[in-house]
Amino acid sequence: MRNMQAENIIEMLHITKEFPGIIANDDITLQLRKGEIHALLGENGAGKSTLMSVLFGLYQPEAGEIRKNGKTVRIDDPNDATALGIGMVHQHFKLIEVFTVLDNIILGAETTRMGFLQKREARRKVEELSERYGLKVDLDAKVEDITVGMQQRVEILKMLCRDNEILIFDEPTAVLTPQEIDELMATMREFAKEGKSILFISHKLNEIMAVADRVTVLRKGKCIGTVETKDTDKQSLSNMMVGRPVQLEVEKGPAKPGEVVLHVDGMSVPSRTHRKRSAVNDVSFDVRAGEIVCVAGIDGNGQTELVYGLTGLEKTSGGTVTLCGHDISHASIRQRNRYLSHIPEDRHKHGLILDFTLEQNMVLQKYREPRFQHLGFIKEGEVRAYAQQLIEQYDVRSGQGPITVARSMSGGNQQKAIIAREIDRELPLIVAVQPTRGLDVGAIEYIHKQLVAERDRGRAVLLVSLELDEVMSLSDRILVMYEGEIVGELDPKKTSVQELGLYMAGAKRAAEGGESA
Amino acid sequence: MKQSANGLLSRDSTKTVLASLISILIGLVVGSVIILLVGLADPDLSLSSAWEGIRLVFGGLLSTGRDAAGALTFGFNPTNVGNMLFRATPLILTGLSVAVAFKTGLFNIGAPGQYLMGTAASLMLALGIPSETVPTGLIWCIAFLGGILAGAIWGCIPGLVKALLNINEVLACIMTNWIAANLVTWMFDGSDFRNLVENTKSGYIYKTSYNGVETAKLGLDKLFPNSQVNGGIVIAIVMAILVYILMTKTTLGYELKACGSNRHAARYAGIRDKRNIVLSMAIAGGLSGAAAALYYLSGNTEFFWSTYQTLPAIGFNGIPVALLAASNPIGVVFTGCFMSMLDIVGLQLTNLTAYNEYITDVIIATIVYLSAFSLVIRMLLSGRKKHKTAVSVETASAAGPVPAEAAPPAEAGGPETDGTEEKGGEAT
Repeated sequence: MRNMQAENIIEMLHITKEFPGIIANDDITLQLRKGEIHALLGENGAGKSTLMSVLFGLYQPEAGEIRKNGKTVRIDDPNDATALGIGMVHQHFKLIEVFTVLDNIILGAETTRMGFLQKREARRKVEELSERYGLKVDLDAKVEDITVGMQQRVEILKMLCRDNEILIFDEPTAVLTPQEIDELMATMREFAKEGKSILFISHKLNEIMAVADRVTVLRKGKCIGTVETKDTDKQSLSNMMVGRPVQLEVEKGPAKPGEVVLHVDGMSVPSRTHRKRSAVNDVSFDVRAGEIVCVAGIDGNGQTELVYGLTGLEKTSGGTVTLCGHDISHASIRQRNRYLSHIPEDRHKHGLILDFTLEQNMVLQKYREPRFQHLGFIKEGEVRAYAQQLIEQYDVRSGQGPITVARSMSGGNQQKAIIAREIDRELPLIVAVQPTRGLDVGAIEYIHKQLVAERDRGRAVLLVSLELDEVMSLSDRILVMYEGEIVGELDPKKTSVQELGLYMAGAKRAAEGGESA
Repeated sequence: MKQSANGLLSRDSTKTVLASLISILIGLVVGSVIILLVGLADPDLSLSSAWEGIRLVFGGLLSTGRDAAGALTFGFNPTNVGNMLFRATPLILTGLSVAVAFKTGLFNIGAPGQYLMGTAASLMLALGIPSETVPTGLIWCIAFLGGILAGAIWGCIPGLVKALLNINEVLACIMTNWIAANLVTWMFDGSDFRNLVENTKSGYIYKTSYNGVETAKLGLDKLFPNSQVNGGIVIAIVMAILVYILMTKTTLGYELKACGSNRHAARYAGIRDKRNIVLSMAIAGGLSGAAAALYYLSGNTEFFWSTYQTLPAIGFNGIPVALLAASNPIGVVFTGCFMSMLDIVGLQLTNLTAYNEYITDVIIATIVYLSAFSLVIRMLLSGRKKHKTAVSVETASAAGPVPAEAAPPAEAGGPETDGTEEKGGEAT
């Protein structure tokens, strides 16, 4: 016992952190051993991020103490945390988009000589680190031009450059592709082997089982327990996390495809970054009523632009899109909105107006309907009632109900609000782009059920997903995108994750894939 | 009860008002310090006259002159209040102009140019239409609407440039300001347009009352005798209320605000963002035009074309008026009145003491700086409380959205702690 105590590099003892009306952390004890990967598992709102914010000095706990190497320490702000060797990769990266990768890495810890930046030394150090850990980055690219995966590697390099020995990863895999996740896992194991200690916040059970040594489970702000991963399994972890048996697999009957709702013929969408190339190149496919068609692929292979082209956010450069028998290739977004619901990829950029209240967001497309306005005046009562109805029906949780500012809601509930709004529009086609990104098991289960229910009610669902599990379990047909083209159409019942992966990596193409000819 | 008091304190609107009041107070204090320094440095002035100056800075509106013994007297001064309202009229409208643009995510620094175009249009209409054949009341209405229209058209230009060519509206606004300044100079000096109004001109002065056109007093002159006040202030307040209704109650306001808060999401929802940018700038321009029309149609004001080699300050002063009001249309009425009160203070200083009105320019300048900082002051207000009482209500709303799962905002205190409940608990 004494031996174990000595091993603990960070101990958070009996931490209690209250917010008005809510105890975010209730007497939580977390002990991080040197050289271990310790996962912190819990649903959205369980208190994981709060606990880590306490450790990183962003919040002060009401009770409890933090010890490093057995000595009590005070962490008043992130500078204190950095001084103690604690580094954190936030869920939403803290990078300056217009700076280069190198500038971002050295920001705040610049080496200078007589007031002049000594970038050459810094570059050498970063290059060496990136070599050693296989963290490939393009040091001279601007952050706005690189993929999220690379942005995350930049954040990791930032921590390494500061010689942090305790690394906190807040939901690091939420934005990564399967391959990038594997790389990250390998990097984390490498760190642990070198004696760095890792706190890994996640609600993805696969990853935790794969990489963590121990797991501490939080639920409703309470510590449910700490277990060794080798002594447990996914099902029991998820039961611990949710507090009830959870269904990890999606339950759905066979699809009954009806008539064609969406017909895409030879659509191309120009690329934003490369002027000459098309991001989507001559793509053709159909989506029928009553089926879920999933577009799979590694991030950045044209899925985003495909959806932009369908929904009108980006102009197409060729081909036709037919929706419910109408040619919408050149229709305005508002015209398209009459037939399609769009659950957007970026809920903060497109999905919500964060400074608007929940009720205002709930009528984002509907405010012009006679139900909600009369002679240009918004019927506030109707909007409130409608928002209230959606909130109850779809179980959207927020501090003040309809008048909650969207920005103050948790990510999961923001997404639920969007899903409620889009599904309730009752349109023939639902375009859902990564609808479960960054959500916890309970919310994912819920959203999957909703999508399947909509399918069974005869809607056509086009799902874009990067999660292979989701693709395999939810879809009735899979379209694989690679470099802007559809390289294969697969039946999830007849294919395997491995085969799907080959298509996604461009190593395999459908023999009958006529579009490349 | 304590909870609700804390709730009120932590409300964003309360913080906004507080931040503005702090800016104003600091501005006044800085003005006082300067008065004190000048008073001590100048041999003609003394500590007692500095004290008088400071009292006037804070109470100039209520100053009633000096009594027989030479001491300053204070009391309700209807002339001052009336003049304040008169001067507030154009400020409220240019303030609204800037505020509307702010709400839609645009910075309308083009108010001076729009104001000038409004000036030119309303003067030409008011002086050019013969009052022998057309009733002056009708001329007034035509000139007022003409001023609005001219301002709106001038506001459209930066809006169009931004919407179609994606050129920053600030740049386009600054350029259109100077185009307006030179255009107006030319119109009143060199062009044939001048002949339209030449017969009613006296010297180099254009004054609408030469043609019998002036704003109705609406009895306000009886309420505030010996002042320049007229019905314009009523129109300004009505327009502020209309703007408030437009922005908060209508679908158009919803669209404009949506575009301003998140252009991407607005586009996603099918709102035509480009049209709304132009529309927002047109409304802003129209309000600035209305400011000019009300100012020059009042009957007590004169326009010297030669002075408009520079841009009118009223246009620029709309920016601090809007900033201090945090772009709230109703707030603009009050901040507009406050800014014009400073003008009155300046007059009182000149009339009653050896100081001149430039002191108030210093105060205004300080407040302009601080109003830009009022955001910072708001942050300080939140930040200070966060440090002081980590337990209290403020923390949550101040630290608000940072970690998504940290906490629901203050009023969450229902029976259940919403954020931590199981997601989809009822979904089974």
